[in-house]
Amino acid sequence: MTGPTSELVLFQVGTRTYAAVVHDAVRIGSVRDVAPETLVLETALGVPCAQARGIVVMSHDDAVERTLVVDQVIGTRSVPEELVHPLPAFAAVCLVSGAVTGFVLLEGDPLLLVDLPTLVRERATVATA
Amino acid sequence: MPEPSKSAQQPEPAAQAAVPEAWFFCLRLLGGRYAFEAPLVTEVVRLGALTRLPAAPAFLPGVFTHRGEVLPVLDIAQLVGQGAVSLRPSTRAAIVHCGPWKVAVVSDSVEGLVSIPRRQLEPPPAESTGVAEFLSAVGRDRAGAIAVLDLPRLVETARARAVPAGSGAA
Repeated sequence: MTGPTSELVLFQVGTRTYAAVVHDAVRIGSVRDVAPETLVLETALGVPCAQARGIVVMSHDDAVERTLVVDQVIGTRSVPEELVHPLPAFAAVCLVSGAVTGFVLLEGDPLLLVDLPTLVRERATVATA
Repeated sequence: MPEPSKSAQQPEPAAQAAVPEAWFFCLRLLGGRYAFEAPLVTEVVRLGALTRLPAAPAFLPGVFTHRGEVLPVLDIAQLVGQGAVSLRPSTRAAIVHCGPWKVAVVSDSVEGLVSIPRRQLEPPPAESTGVAEFLSAVGRDRAGAIAVLDLPRLVETARARAVPAGSGAA
């Protein structure tokens, strides 16, 4: 018998791999033809080196599509929900960014789970401040 | 007015022997011996692989997995601005419960449980900088001096010093 699963997209920024809920990604593609004002380059995850791919995210606040620039999109994974953990309470209240929401334990190692709309919203907030 | 009984004025030898001892959990940090109330500690573990968190304060160097649970690591040295504990997979951490928070406190080395008669505990020096800000008492056992940390206050201060989540990006 199989339990409920979470559909995740795995991507890299710099040397680190992150996970996000697939549902939050509108589409994935090249950043070449994307309007520069909609690109989100620098976030709490850092600045991508290769800046090769973009994950298009619908911002919750203004219903505007923004493209999170990443180095690589590794693919999607269907992960049993028991492997998805929230951020420990102490870490949650200490982090500057609210975009890191938890962990996925893949092969026993914690992979950071990122809320893409929050990530791009935070960056947009900083950019307009 | 009746006189106090003899036993109320002078403890019997048996009562003297039963002077309450305080149990502390002792670790080495910042070049000294520091301790906190032993019941706060649930277990001592090795860190293993540490996962760094983006946009985290320096006193929160990362998280690690222990028995399927993800635990945050607290570096007291970083919090008090006096360096950092060298973190390796073999570094030992004391898992503590402080109110609603469960954290793994890292140190240079772990001594374990020590007992000090409560009457031998003295107030900490009247300093308010660095780690002295978080001392609740100082004491001594056969191995030397021990500074007792008010760990719940220290953890709460760490939380308060961190920027609240969602208030901005790196």
